[in-house]
Amino acid sequence: MPGDKKAGNKESNVKKGLSRRDFLVAGGTVAAVDALIASTPAKAATPSPPAAATTYPASEGYLVYDSKKCAGCTTCMLSCSLVHYGVQNLSRSRIQIIQDSFGKFPNDIQMAPCRQCKTPVCVQNCPVGAAFVDTENGNVRRIDSSKCIGCRTCLKMCPQQPHRTVWVVIDGKGKSSKCDLCLDTPYWNEKGGPGGKQACVETCPMKAIKFVAVMPEQKETEGYDVNLRNDHWLNLGLVDNSTVVPKMDLTWRILPGGEE
Amino acid sequence: MMKGGYTGKILRVNLTTKTIGTIDTAKYEEFGGGHGIGSAVFFDLVGDQLPFDAFDPRNCIIMMASPFSGTFMPGSGRCEVQGLGPMLYPIEWFGHSNFGGRFTAQLKFAGWDGIVVEGASDEPVWINIVNDKVKIESANGIWGMDTWDTQEEISRRVVPDLKYGEWAELAENCFTTQIPAVVCCGPAGENKSRLGALLHGPGSQAALCGFGGVFGSKKLKAISAIGTSDVPIADPKAFMDARLWYRRFQWDVDNPREAERFGTGGPYALISGRPSGGNTLNRDIPLTPARAAACASCPRGCRMRLATSDSNESVCGGTMTITVQGSTKFTRQGNDLMQKYGLGHWQLIPLMGYVQTLYRKGILGKGKQIDTDLPLDRNGTFGYADTLMRQIALREGIGNDLSEACARFAEKIGRYEEDVNSGELSLAYYGTANHYDPVIEAEWGFGSLLGERDLMLHMMSNYPIHWMAWSGDPYLTAEETAKLYTDAMEPYQGDPFMVDHSDGPTGIYSDSKVKQVAWIKHYEKFWVGAGGFCGWRWPMCITNNTADRRGPTPRAEEKFWNAVTGNNLTFADYMEIGHKIYTLDRSIWVLQGRHRDMEVYPDYIYDRPTRGHDMTMYIDGKWKYDTGAGRKLDRAKVEDFKTRFYKFEGYNHENGYPTRATLEKMNLGKVAAALEKKGRLG
Repeated sequence: MPGDKKAGNKESNVKKGLSRRDFLVAGGTVAAVDALIASTPAKAATPSPPAAATTYPASEGYLVYDSKKCAGCTTCMLSCSLVHYGVQNLSRSRIQIIQDSFGKFPNDIQMAPCRQCKTPVCVQNCPVGAAFVDTENGNVRRIDSSKCIGCRTCLKMCPQQPHRTVWVVIDGKGKSSKCDLCLDTPYWNEKGGPGGKQACVETCPMKAIKFVAVMPEQKETEGYDVNLRNDHWLNLGLVDNSTVVPKMDLTWRILPGGEE
Repeated sequence: MMKGGYTGKILRVNLTTKTIGTIDTAKYEEFGGGHGIGSAVFFDLVGDQLPFDAFDPRNCIIMMASPFSGTFMPGSGRCEVQGLGPMLYPIEWFGHSNFGGRFTAQLKFAGWDGIVVEGASDEPVWINIVNDKVKIESANGIWGMDTWDTQEEISRRVVPDLKYGEWAELAENCFTTQIPAVVCCGPAGENKSRLGALLHGPGSQAALCGFGGVFGSKKLKAISAIGTSDVPIADPKAFMDARLWYRRFQWDVDNPREAERFGTGGPYALISGRPSGGNTLNRDIPLTPARAAACASCPRGCRMRLATSDSNESVCGGTMTITVQGSTKFTRQGNDLMQKYGLGHWQLIPLMGYVQTLYRKGILGKGKQIDTDLPLDRNGTFGYADTLMRQIALREGIGNDLSEACARFAEKIGRYEEDVNSGELSLAYYGTANHYDPVIEAEWGFGSLLGERDLMLHMMSNYPIHWMAWSGDPYLTAEETAKLYTDAMEPYQGDPFMVDHSDGPTGIYSDSKVKQVAWIKHYEKFWVGAGGFCGWRWPMCITNNTADRRGPTPRAEEKFWNAVTGNNLTFADYMEIGHKIYTLDRSIWVLQGRHRDMEVYPDYIYDRPTRGHDMTMYIDGKWKYDTGAGRKLDRAKVEDFKTRFYKFEGYNHENGYPTRATLEKMNLGKVAAALEKKGRLG
C-alpha cells in the first residue's frame, strides 16, 4: 500500500537527519560546514561565513508538540502565514505539518516546528548575519529576511529534515525566514515571543502545540515531541501503543469540568 | 475588484480540443463562490443546449473552491462538484456532490478558484496542475488502477523526486512539503457506472450523482493539484480575531466539560464537534491505536487514521456500507475496497439491500428470473462483498445492470413502480435513498424533494434535535431548543414553530415550515455550497460547548466571510444570494424538464404509518419531545405546502417555474429569457 512505502521513506529520512545532525553538532567546525556547502550547488554566491561563535545564550522560549495529538488540519501553518504575512499559504509557514493520508498512525504525520537550537547552525553559518540571536527578545533565533542575500546556506545547513528555515518570496526575491515565536507579527493584535503568545499555539484545535520556557532535551525528537494528552483524550477512544486502553462504552468516567 | 479569498481565475479545460484556458472569477463574484459560481458557469456554457445526457461530452464537470478554501476558516475544506448527474432519476438532473480533504486548499494555493472540464478525450488522461502550469497528461499505466494506487502513482509523476518529510522545490523559489492532492475515479467510474464516485485520499468521497461515471465518460482518470502561492485575505487581523473568537464553540479536547457527559461514541456527540467519531469501526476492544484526522482547516477532525491504516479518513457511510460478520478488520477492509473501486456508498447501500430483497423473494439468483452467479447465500462475508462490488465496478454479469444504479436497475427488471412505491426499494428523492424520516423530520424531506437529491445536510435543524432527543437526556427542553434554534435562523428568526414537527396547525405543513425549508435551501446554496462548508459542521445554531447554548450561527458566517473577502454584507444579504443560487439551479432543472408534478414522494412515504422519532413538537399548547408514531403524510397538505413554498420563493405555484419578476429582481434576466424560449417561464 502507498502508506507503507512512504512511511518507510520517512523512517529512513529521520535516520538520515540524525546522522547529519550528529555530524554537524559534534564536529562543529567551520571547515566541516564549508565542506558541506561546497558539496551542494548554491543559488547565489556564498561569501565566507563570519567567525562562528561556539556558544550562544539559550533561547527563553521553545515550541514542543504532540505529533500523536495533531489532526493534520494545518490551522497552525495557516495561522503562522497569516500573522506574519497577511496571507494564507502553507509554503510560508514556519511550522510544517507533513502528512500521508494513507499512512499508518503515528508515522502518518510529522510535525516540524523550529527547535530554537542550543547551537543554532543557521545563525552560526549565515554569511551576512541575517540569521541572529535576538538578545533583546529572549535570545530567540531569528532571521531578518531583509538582510538575507538568498544564498540558501541556512537551508542546507539546518540539521533537521525538513529544514526549519523556510524559503519565502518577498518582493519577487527568494529569502529565508524562520520561526520567531511570533515576535514580529504585523497582522495580529497580540504580543508574541517569550512571555507573549504564539499563533500556532493559540489556534491549534487539538492543543497539540505548547510554548515552554525551558530548553527541551536536545535529542533528535524526544525532547520536543511530547505527550500533551490527558484522560479526556483517552475518553475519545484514541489510544497509542503506550497508553492503557480505556473501557469503551457510553458510561465514561466523568472528569471534573471547568468553568466556561 | 476582488480584495480577498479569490485567486481571480478559474481553470477551463476542454478534453476534446485539448485546450486549456481561464475564466475570470470576478465575472461571477455576485454568486459568492463554490456552488454559486459553478451553477452560473454551467448555465452560461451549456444552459441553452439543455436537455442532454450526463454522458454527453457537452456535460461539464465543475469543481469549485470557495473564498474560504485554503484558509483556516473552520470546516470549509469541501470541494463542490457539479454537472449533470447520471445517478439521478428519471432525469439526470444538474446535481451536486462534494468531498472533504485538502483538494480545494491545494487548488487555491496553485492559484485557481475552480476547474471546469468540458468535452471528452479519446484516450485516457489526467490533469496535472502545479501552480499556473497545467497539462493534460496521458493516463497510460494509470487507467484501470484503483483509486488508491492512482493517487500514489500520480503523486510520483507530479513530483518524481518527492521524499516524504522533505521540502520539494516545484519550480524556482516554489517550495512545499506537501503531497499533491489528487481526486480520481476508480474502475467503477471508468466503466461509466452510475454509482461511480470521486475519491480523494483514502476515504474522502463525492458519493452522490455519479460523477465518477462522468469522469469515465470523458476518459478523465484524475486531477492533481499542488501549489505554493498565496490566498489573499482582505482583513488579516479581523480574520485572526474571528478564528480566535470561534474557539469557544469548539470541543475543548483538554476539558470538554459537560459535552463529555453524553458519551463520546454516539452520533449525539457530532453536534458538539467531538473529534474522531465519524469512523464507526474502531470501537472494539482492544482499540486500534489511532488519531483524529481532519480535513483542511477543520477544528473537529471527525475522521481517524489508524495504526493499521485501514478505514483511514472514511466516515459514516464510508465505514458502514460493507459489513463482514464477526470481523471488524475485514469490515474496515471491505469498506476500503468500496473506496478503491470508487463506488458511491450512498447508492451502494440501498442497492445491496435491494439485491438481497430480490434474492429472498426468489426473483434473483442462480437460475432465477434474474439469473446471476453472485454467491447470494454468503451475504455478510468479505467474499460476497468483493464479488458484488467487483461485478458492479467492472460491469461483469449482473453487475452490468446493477451498475445502472437502483432506479434504472429496477426499471430494467420491470419492478420500479411496484418496488419503489411499496418501499421494498427505499428510494425517496430522484433515485437517491430515503434518509431521515420525511413524515416527522419534514424539513429534510421537503428540502430534498425541492432539490435534486437527498439533502445530506446533517447540521440542519432536524439532525441536532434528532440526536439530542435520541440521547434520552437532552441538554435543552423542547421549548428551549425551539427558541434557541430559530433565534439563529436569520432573517426568519423569532418564529419557534419553524421547528415544530407536529402535524398540527403550526407543524410540518405550516407557513413556519415553509420559511424553514426556504432557510435550509438558501443556507445550503450559499454557505454550504458557495462557502464550501462541511454539512457536519455548519450551520451550528445550538451547542453545549457554550454556557448559553448558542452556536456560532449566524454571527460567525458573516464575520468570517467579510474578513476574508472585504465585503460588508450581512448574514441575511448572503442568504438572499443563496436564494438567487437556488432559483438559478431550479431554472436549470426546469430547462431539463422539472415541473411541480414531479416533486412528489413515492407512495410508501405517504401511506406507511411511521414509527416516528423524538423531535420538538408543539402539541396542545405545549412544547415537548414526541415521536409522532403512527402518523401518515397527507398528500393534499403536502401539495398545499408546495404551493405556499413556490409563492414564498417567487415561483409560479401552478408549475413551480421561477417567474420573470423574481429572476429579473435577482439580475437573472438571461435565465428568464432562456426559460421563456422553452415556454417554461413561471
